[in-house]
Amino acid sequence: MIYIAILTVAMLIAGLAAYFFRDLIAAVVACAAVSLIASVLFYLLQAPDVAMAEAAIGAGLTTAIFVIAIRKTGRYEK
Amino acid sequence: MTALWLLFLSLGAAGVALCLARAAAGPTTPDRVVGVDGTVTISIALMVLLSSFFDRQIYMDVALVYAVLGFIGVLAVARYMERGV
Repeated sequence: MIYIAILTVAMLIAGLAAYFFRDLIAAVVACAAVSLIASVLFYLLQAPDVAMAEAAIGAGLTTAIFVIAIRKTGRYEK
Repeated sequence: MTALWLLFLSLGAAGVALCLARAAAGPTTPDRVVGVDGTVTISIALMVLLSSFFDRQIYMDVALVYAVLGFIGVLAVARYMERGV
């Protein structure tokens, strides 16, 4: 079970990075990393259908929608 | 046989760790994008490997969905950096 703890700590670090980045594109990429690690955690905890939904929504949809929103507004946080 | 599985999974985990380190330390944003994309690719390979290790078919579908949809985010970011979505 040590790898689940390692993945959880990596997810926490990626979430903090998404919070602290000033460049919003980098924050979106960190958000995608959080989604990826969450999907791998669901996979390892033997919930493959939840992992599939997380992969479809987290990897594809939210990143594209966030990038479109950044395109409409601004890249750097003031 | 178990030693061989352990070798494969360790190699995959080392690749994931290196890609995540690049994504965490990368000075520019494209470095982070490529780091996370490499993590996605190696994770898909690890999911296929674990599906064979646990001997369960349904685990392969997660890898399939991730391989089909995983590139969309990187594609959106790349298009934004080049000339806007």
